[in-house]
Amino acid sequence: MSAAPQIDLTNAETFPSRRTEAWKYSDMKRWLREAPEPSGTALVGAPGPFYDLGGEAIVFANGRPVGVTDFIASGVQTLRLRFISDAVGTGHTAAARIVARPGARLLLLETHEGKGSAYVAHNKVEIDVARDAEVTRIVLIEEPEDAISVTNAEVRLEAGGRYRQTVVTTGAKLQRIETQLSHGAEGADARLDGLYLLKGSRHTDLTTVVDHRAADGTTSQLTKGVVHDTARGVFQGKIIVERGADGTDARMAHNALIASERGEIDAKPELIIYADDVQCAHGNTVGTLDESALFYIQQRGIPADEARALLVQAFLFEVIDRIEDEAAKEVVRAWLTARL
Amino acid sequence: MLKINNLHVSVADKPILKGLTLEVPAGEVHAVMGPNGAGKSTLGYSLSGRPGYEVTDGSASWNGQDLLGLDPAERAAAGVFLSFQYPMEIPGVPAMTFIRTALNAQKRARGEEEVSAPAFLKQVKAASQALKMDFDMLKRPLNVGFSGGEKKRMEILQMALLEPSLLILDETDSGLDIDALRIVSEGVNALRRADRSMLVITHYQRLLDYIKPDKVHVLAAGRIVASGGPELALELEAEGYDKFLPTAA
Amino acid sequence: MAAVKETVEAVAALEKYEHGFTSDIETEYAPRGLNADIIRFISEKKGEPEWMLEWRLAAYERWLAMEEPTWAAVKYEPVDYQDLFYYAAPKQKEGPKSLDEVDPELLAVYAKLGIPLGEQAVLAGVEGAPRYAVDAVFDSVSVVTTFKAELAKVGVIFMPISEALREYPDLVRQYLGSVVPVSDNYFAALNSAVFSDGSFVYIPPGVKCPMELSTYFRINASQTGQFERTLIIADKGSYVSYLEGCTAPMRDENQLHAAVVEIVALDDAEVKYSTVQNWYPGDAEGKGGIYNFVTKRADCRGDRSKVSWTQVETGSAVTWKYPSCILKGEESSGEFYSIAITNGHQQADTGTKMIHLGKNSKSRIIAKAVSAGKSDSTYRGLVSVHPKATGVRNFTQCDSLLIGKECGSHTIPYIEARNGSAQLEHEATTTRLSEDQLFYAQQRGLSEEEAVALLVNGFVRDVMQKLPMEFAVEAQKLVAISLEGSVG
Repeated sequence: MSAAPQIDLTNAETFPSRRTEAWKYSDMKRWLREAPEPSGTALVGAPGPFYDLGGEAIVFANGRPVGVTDFIASGVQTLRLRFISDAVGTGHTAAARIVARPGARLLLLETHEGKGSAYVAHNKVEIDVARDAEVTRIVLIEEPEDAISVTNAEVRLEAGGRYRQTVVTTGAKLQRIETQLSHGAEGADARLDGLYLLKGSRHTDLTTVVDHRAADGTTSQLTKGVVHDTARGVFQGKIIVERGADGTDARMAHNALIASERGEIDAKPELIIYADDVQCAHGNTVGTLDESALFYIQQRGIPADEARALLVQAFLFEVIDRIEDEAAKEVVRAWLTARL
Repeated sequence: MLKINNLHVSVADKPILKGLTLEVPAGEVHAVMGPNGAGKSTLGYSLSGRPGYEVTDGSASWNGQDLLGLDPAERAAAGVFLSFQYPMEIPGVPAMTFIRTALNAQKRARGEEEVSAPAFLKQVKAASQALKMDFDMLKRPLNVGFSGGEKKRMEILQMALLEPSLLILDETDSGLDIDALRIVSEGVNALRRADRSMLVITHYQRLLDYIKPDKVHVLAAGRIVASGGPELALELEAEGYDKFLPTAA
Repeated sequence: MAAVKETVEAVAALEKYEHGFTSDIETEYAPRGLNADIIRFISEKKGEPEWMLEWRLAAYERWLAMEEPTWAAVKYEPVDYQDLFYYAAPKQKEGPKSLDEVDPELLAVYAKLGIPLGEQAVLAGVEGAPRYAVDAVFDSVSVVTTFKAELAKVGVIFMPISEALREYPDLVRQYLGSVVPVSDNYFAALNSAVFSDGSFVYIPPGVKCPMELSTYFRINASQTGQFERTLIIADKGSYVSYLEGCTAPMRDENQLHAAVVEIVALDDAEVKYSTVQNWYPGDAEGKGGIYNFVTKRADCRGDRSKVSWTQVETGSAVTWKYPSCILKGEESSGEFYSIAITNGHQQADTGTKMIHLGKNSKSRIIAKAVSAGKSDSTYRGLVSVHPKATGVRNFTQCDSLLIGKECGSHTIPYIEARNGSAQLEHEATTTRLSEDQLFYAQQRGLSEEEAVALLVNGFVRDVMQKLPMEFAVEAQKLVAISLEGSVG
């Protein structure tokens, strides 16, 4: 079911091109013909956007762990997972592994903090959500406009496990944020949301593969994006319901706005269904800012630029409003508002 | 004073207003009545600057300030408020946030001090009570899922809070039942002031039972074809618009 | 509730595949296998101009260099292209000029299929009943085309493409391959090399074709591929509604059908193309049946041109088919209405492509898939908006209905927007047949199969209504028949 070939930054032959169906809209090979030189060391600078929320931390600086790489959560815990990149033209790989023990509640606050330029980052996260455990993963990504990054998360849900994910990104030169989630046992519940706000010639590709392998699982997905200038947003969502996964309820929506003449949106929402007792739906819209609404707002005295920003913000905030943790929600809201 | 002189407006290259001339002195309420397709809504949109409504000739000014050269937000800051026939739904923006953002944008444009959140809250509470609106509605996204009557009330509430000097009411009675019509009209009447003008655009005389106009104008085929006192509205109600329509040549 | 009654009666009265009979017609074959000589043989049989033979041979060269596509979600035994007959024709005098000259055995086949080949018979029908002209293609050749003379009076050309190549070579040459290029895909290249017949339609400027045109395809001969080619040209301001029907006998082997349909719509022209595809789907164990690998494409080159595809796909063992529209003209419009029903071991990978190149072009896609038994059904579609195409609108709705635990249903839409003014909307749902509704219908006295047929007909109703009336009745019966044995 893997949508990602095993990418190895030291071997250019493993870089997918658009000829690989799952990478149709994110041609890594085009931008990266040769394996990059390995990155040197980097300093852990500022404390990161989620510092005020406390908790434990796993930190990678140019792929090198600053301390531990694995975390086992029990009870109620907060973990900040920081991928720090500060490199010029070099590449690095980081891998973290997170386990939520039965009944644990983990708030996982992940940040990709990129500095420098033209680096290549490859991040891997494995998350196991045990029986009746809950993991909320919130990801904020800010990278230089000429960076290339691929993030792959593999999430496994046990019976009654709950998983909540919200990815918020401003893109890069080529950026792939991939989540592969499997409902391995019955009654698991997943929410996978995404938000992208792209300017200039940035690109991002939010790809999710959700595999319902057991009965009575639910999946709810909402991804929203806005592209400006010549930016390119990609959403690929695949929901698989395997034979015997009866009682599955899976819903996926992607709504995008092209706020410029030459922005681009590519979307591929897939349903692959082998069980009959299911409720599955996906919706996809691509549009532009509503001209009538824009006029209405301006008529009340709000200048055109502000009116546009207001509509964009309102459009995107719907994703953030789905975050249940109030403190984290406020951080994400402020983070996004500063980048509108 | 609102001064419109020989206004010509086209939509998608089709002439709609063809030389409309009209004056509304400060403090007066004028009704513009006319059959469907006469250009009534076009008049409201042209004065407020909706894109797509192209002024090909003529002029329009408010208190001596030319309106036609301003963008929609600038006109709003100059005091022009259009109450929409079909108010827009703005998902994701709570009504209260929206109104406060608009109020402060207008104040900034006029070089006035912005209103603080607590002061604004007080104003909103008072205004919503006067219009018998549930305060919780103001926390919901603007107009989303509101009934026709609720949307119209929300328009009047915005009018009360933004304190415009030129009020254009476009078919404000459409979609209102009799109780809602009374509440909305009372809201409008409460806003009558010596330095404020109102242009009430309506197809039916009904609304004018509640909002008494100083003058009534008949708009047909893109021009004002007759003007008179409130009795003109009653005459239209009884006899229809036929005698004002251009006869086939 | 006439429709219900129709359906119920149809279920009761008909066999699983009523068109599965074979006919003992004396047939002339080309030697088995494919090489340049076979292509020369076909071309010579048709008395084609030299350029046509060269065109075919060039296509054959391209085909040899291509690989059979594997991206569709279908699995099938590989076709041995050297083990097929590429030409099979019922023996008869070359090019019958009237019905009297057609072999009565052949006429009997079409009568059995319910296809009216006699003009009188149609005329003698119910008063006010719509008439339609028929081009009947039997294996590799067209056996008869009705109403030709009457159509010619208004300038409409409707004839076998082999005949058009002789009578209107310039017109054919101008448009053939201009919508589906020879090298478009593996099956289109093969078709270009070996196609033996099909229909040619030309509607002159400003003419509204006075009757429905239709082609009825029948594969009869064993181990024979059918490669028909249809070319429809709607000149400025013209209108035509075109119907296509297909059947084949029950045979244990798989048979290949690789057709190409090209439509050209000039300024203000409108073409409605309807298909009821009922090729033999194979038996209950998945043995036999038609491989239906078809390329259908419309080029809306004219401003305000409009092409509408409607298809009811109930037959074939494997279907690979994406009727598409290239929306080049300003304000041009493309529509795709589809019902795909799979049962038994059938596999269908079907959908459409709407390529928006022209300003203010519009498209609308409604696809309904019903999967039952051990079948697999995939909707695969593309809506793409070119950077220069402003004001584009698309609405897509894909609904899938699952009946039983062993079938599969998949939805794979691609959406590519490269212009900021595009408004694209896509909705898809997958559900199973509601047990509550089934019970409700049964409680009112319908058998389980009748209830299923009733509910499925309700599910596909939006699309059914897009079919011309005389096809809709047939299609509705087909829905019921193709779902037989899907429950219980």
